[in-house]
Amino acid sequence: MVNERRIAMELRWCAFVAITCGAVVQVSASPASAADATRVSLGLSAFYTFEEGDGDVVKDRSGSGKSLDLKIEKPSAVTWKDSALVVRSATKIESVHSATKLAEQSRRSNALTIEAWIKPANTSQKGPARIVSMSSSSVQRNFTLGQEGDRYQFRLRATSTSDNGIPDTGSGNGKAETKLAHVVFTRGSDGRVRFYVDGKQTESRKVAGRLSNWDVGFPLILANERKAERPWLGEFHLVAIYSRALGGAEVSQNYSAGPKAGIDPHEAQRRALARAEQTFATKVAPLFARHCLECHDTGSKKGDLDLSRKVSAFAGGESGKVILPGNADESPLWQQIVSGDMPPQGPGLSASDQAVIKEWIDDGAVWSIEMIDPAVYASKPGASDHWVQRLTVSEYIETVRSAVGVDIAKEATRLLPPDLRADGFSNTAYNLSVDLKHVEAYSQLAEMIVQRMDVLEFAKRFSKSQSLNTNATARKFVAAAGERLLRGPLDDREVTNYSGILTAVASAGGDYEQGVGLMVEAMLQSPRFIYRIETQPDGGGNQRVTDFELASRMSYILWGGPPDEALLKAVRDGRLADKDRCQAEVERMLMDRRAVERSKQFAADWLNLDRLTNMQPNQEQFPEWTPELGQDMCAETLAFFEELVWKQGRPMSDLFDAQFTYATPQLAKHYGLKPQEGGLRRYDLSGEPVRGGLLTQGSVLTIGGDDASMVTRGLFVMRDLLRGVIGAPPPGVDTTPVPPKPGMTHRDVAEDRIQNKSCGGCHIKFEPLAFGLEQFDGLGAFHLKDEFGNQLRSEGQLVVPGEAKPQPYTTPSELMKLLSTSDRVRETLTWKVTQFAMGRPLGARDATEVQRIHQAATSADGRYADVITAVVMSDLVQKTRAQDEP
Amino acid sequence: MKNKRIHRRTMLRSVGAATVGLPLLEEMLTSTASAANATPEIPVRAFNVFFGLGIPAPLQKEGFQGVLEPLQPLSKKLLIMREVDQVRCDEKGVNAHYDGATAAFTAEPPDGEAKSGGPSIDQVIRHANYPNGLPKGMVPTLVGGTFFRRSRVGRYVHSYNMDGTVAATIQEKPRELFERVFGGVALAGGDRSERLKRSVLDTVVEDYRHYTGANSPLGASSRARVADHLDRIREFEQRAFAMKHRQSSGPQIPPRSIIPHGGPADPGGQGIDITLEQLSSEWRLLSDVYALAVQMDRVRFGALTFLAAGERIRLTGDYMYNGKKLWEFDDAKQQNAGGDKGCSHEWWHKFNEKKKNEALRAHAHMKMQEVAYFLSALDSDECKEPNGRTILENSLITISTESGDGRHNDVKRELSGVFHCITGANGRFKTGQIMDVGAEGIDVYNTMLDAFGTKDRLGPKKRDAQQIDSIRA
Repeated sequence: MVNERRIAMELRWCAFVAITCGAVVQVSASPASAADATRVSLGLSAFYTFEEGDGDVVKDRSGSGKSLDLKIEKPSAVTWKDSALVVRSATKIESVHSATKLAEQSRRSNALTIEAWIKPANTSQKGPARIVSMSSSSVQRNFTLGQEGDRYQFRLRATSTSDNGIPDTGSGNGKAETKLAHVVFTRGSDGRVRFYVDGKQTESRKVAGRLSNWDVGFPLILANERKAERPWLGEFHLVAIYSRALGGAEVSQNYSAGPKAGIDPHEAQRRALARAEQTFATKVAPLFARHCLECHDTGSKKGDLDLSRKVSAFAGGESGKVILPGNADESPLWQQIVSGDMPPQGPGLSASDQAVIKEWIDDGAVWSIEMIDPAVYASKPGASDHWVQRLTVSEYIETVRSAVGVDIAKEATRLLPPDLRADGFSNTAYNLSVDLKHVEAYSQLAEMIVQRMDVLEFAKRFSKSQSLNTNATARKFVAAAGERLLRGPLDDREVTNYSGILTAVASAGGDYEQGVGLMVEAMLQSPRFIYRIETQPDGGGNQRVTDFELASRMSYILWGGPPDEALLKAVRDGRLADKDRCQAEVERMLMDRRAVERSKQFAADWLNLDRLTNMQPNQEQFPEWTPELGQDMCAETLAFFEELVWKQGRPMSDLFDAQFTYATPQLAKHYGLKPQEGGLRRYDLSGEPVRGGLLTQGSVLTIGGDDASMVTRGLFVMRDLLRGVIGAPPPGVDTTPVPPKPGMTHRDVAEDRIQNKSCGGCHIKFEPLAFGLEQFDGLGAFHLKDEFGNQLRSEGQLVVPGEAKPQPYTTPSELMKLLSTSDRVRETLTWKVTQFAMGRPLGARDATEVQRIHQAATSADGRYADVITAVVMSDLVQKTRAQDEP
Repeated sequence: MKNKRIHRRTMLRSVGAATVGLPLLEEMLTSTASAANATPEIPVRAFNVFFGLGIPAPLQKEGFQGVLEPLQPLSKKLLIMREVDQVRCDEKGVNAHYDGATAAFTAEPPDGEAKSGGPSIDQVIRHANYPNGLPKGMVPTLVGGTFFRRSRVGRYVHSYNMDGTVAATIQEKPRELFERVFGGVALAGGDRSERLKRSVLDTVVEDYRHYTGANSPLGASSRARVADHLDRIREFEQRAFAMKHRQSSGPQIPPRSIIPHGGPADPGGQGIDITLEQLSSEWRLLSDVYALAVQMDRVRFGALTFLAAGERIRLTGDYMYNGKKLWEFDDAKQQNAGGDKGCSHEWWHKFNEKKKNEALRAHAHMKMQEVAYFLSALDSDECKEPNGRTILENSLITISTESGDGRHNDVKRELSGVFHCITGANGRFKTGQIMDVGAEGIDVYNTMLDAFGTKDRLGPKKRDAQQIDSIRA
């Protein structure tokens, strides 16, 4: 709430500045020439306009994250004038807290821009005299823009420069004069730095390395050094700091805008709108989904009111409009809620929920999503939060193989507890907890892995020296090996910590090989190996993940393993920051076999194929069942998936209607197909009227158990293919399955249930979805009659959640055709792939972005590769959410 | 200091209450009984106490009026040797901290980063006197230390086997030193293996602690997850490494250290910040446990280090001696520098005979006080042995350091006036003197070995040896 109000205030403030600007610009001799000139706002992290006029505080007006206000140490040393601060004698203007947000943002982006409109008091001040600095002492800094006589100078800490930011970059002699000047320093993620004075580039060079060594504890300081020994005298008219490098045209734009231009008012409006949209998606829509849509969705539409869609909601119902944007008190929707008339059953909305609705209407009732889909709000509160992801067993195995070349699959599978499914997948982060058995297993496995490694050969990749001496090469070795093992650069703390093992080994009389072995053993158990550790920003909205974090996200999404050397090189070269080059990396990675295997992990997890390993059907009912048949069913689905997705490159929705499959002779016989010799073979099903597509495969049909439960199969189709939402049965209801008998099939039992008043309301939503599968028994064999001689049927209706009109079908193949052409099914596939990629259930905050992913993937070709590429290139992967984001 | 000295009497009282509280208590009680029976045979013991950075030769000349003052109460039991020359152990390209430290009581320069060129004097004596090993249940060699510079082993380990390898894994936490002596854990691979496995686990724990601490980059739910993991590791640690007390009423093990150890204790030679209170508390606890092990005859050979050769710390705190404040340590501030340039080590680089060298003096004085603390623990009435002398007097305790000058601009000056001190070793050597020996270390050491009647000698054999009779009693 505070944020929205602040934005509203900013909007008002921006308008004021624009008007003021217009008045001032006409009489000013400054370069600003256009009254409506606007400044660049994208990536703005801190912004000072010095318009306070009095007092000892300079306000940060960026609106980005936590404000970084500055305090003037000696107010008597300065004079306020019209939108400027004159520093007449030595003082220090220091941020009231550490400039953590600036450091974190630039560490992530590997880039920055420092911009200042300033007027030096003289051209003799040196040191350099600190104009804008982020430092803790005269020798410890992240950056400093300074004046050295008649030139400007910039010191930038990077992994290639000293902690003092040396060697520095100069603006060129004679560039610092005693007149108002626009001074800009930019540094791109590729290491290119540029100096601009009054809109003209005066220097361009490379400062290689990363900004990952920036200290997040340094304050931001104007006009001096932290310990006040490098004063700068002159006038500050504007200081802006960006977390990215402005391009030449943007620098020109800001120069043209002049020293008194504020934030682009359109940008503020865009932000306000984006926030309002987010508020609707994350706060208002869930209330509608939980309290209103049961009666007022497209299907039910009581009182002719459909609140699930924007157009119908604003159109209103039988009594006319129910939402009057900007006026909650006059809106019937609000009146009904506040009076307690709605919702008619169950507990009403809490006071805080009511306040959300009222404020939403009063603020203009921004409606940001096409349809309120209850599935979006189905996951438990907190489930879609950003949880650190522990490596799953398969990811651990692949990570070890990739990092040190040891195949530990057998032992890891034996020792590590299996990952349990939650929200439909076994890689769901919130459920990847850790028990003592994990810790024991990680310890034992680390020891085994090191025993199997050629430790010296491994070490040779990172250091020619074989020294345990931390004063010599050992620390460099630890840093290099650690970067590979832990999937990103180590900071000093980590290098020091892991170097301790080498010194411990040395002190015990051990040799280099033992030292490296134990260091690897420790790293294999470290949080950065076991978990996919990422820095979660503390405020500041969505932020781009660091390039190393992005590389890890990409590789685990695409391969289920760590980045390879080529991807790490792309990071070091700064290529991932460029979207086109990032996409090129995705394309390269999709050509790798690991991408195929990862996609099969998705399929196996989505369809829960692991359960086939432990199936034990009733031997009397299914005397021909063998455990091998279960394995064959699993192999069938995975081979089918691989051919359709990778060899044929078809849209994923074709999975439901493709006219081929793979089977062993045993499985072919089970299906009634003519068996081919020689293991798993491809079968053309174009001449088979009842088979074709995932839902006709034993691996999926067995989901209903021995009795081919209509309930279970129907729920599977509803939840996993159509993303429908249904609550649990009411307490006290007898859920014992009613068996078929002569004269009564499973379907007859289901239809009785649907007719039952207390059950039908819900069962009608999902049991009919399984009607088309009745002719397949519990193990997927096809029959026209059941064991009692009852005739089995296959006609039914497909009811898609959110759609009013059911779609009839008469045969299983018609059902499959409907599914494969359903937009809802295609969308569900996108959601499922995205959920697996993200390792967490998707919630309201993700809905808009998932929709974009779906559109991007669909407009490509809807193939797995299209979907996964769209996922990786989306903000869900490229960015991370601040903890305070709604 | 916060901790009170651990006394043998206290220990035995708790042992008595526990009946058999610890696995090795039976032997401990036996050795106590043997002392009570006034067996005339006094065991041969040899230990080294090392302190880092040395004492510039001109300050040694001031005797007990200067930085050696804290040793004065024990002066009758010590032989302080000046002008002992180690120049022959100088290795080009390596500064004297390392050469000098390794050469002390080995007479050899280092052999690589983790070995000495030869054995240390305590181990030669051990081999000569216990060729078939020490009595059952004893720790063959005990090496401990409080130190923060660990790039090369010679900086902090001062007990070497006959082949120059370290004689025992160094124990840097009082608790682990205690467990080494009195504990009952036995992992496959023995002491070294256990120590290193602990080192791996300590490193892992340290990393997990970071991600659960105040500077964690993780959000709340992720941090809670990693905290869970850390809890499980603690549980694992407890099961794998905890001391297996058979009875809960056994003696209390020392508290956990609060100062850095392992990797975090040596951030790449940059030095650490530490208060005098923290430093002294840790060292005194370690000294107490070590002394207790000697008093209870659990150990007869080994070494104890108080700050490494070339140590880098930025010390703060008031330095009191005999109730009087002598100095306020604040190295970084007093030198107006951070990192390695703000460490006490720099006072040695800046030593100037013509100046007061107040900070250096305070540091050296403080080190002597801490060395004296350990020596005194072996010189109490409780430490009287059947021959009427204390353990301090009956043992050979060598006190060594690395250089006689810290400026690194004159090798001869740096390595020719290195402070040495020894105890009487049950009447073998003169005590109660400060002696200008004016001899090479190798000759001093081999003269000492003569007094012990050992066959082996330190240093190169092809050399005209000199007997330094002046030190013999």
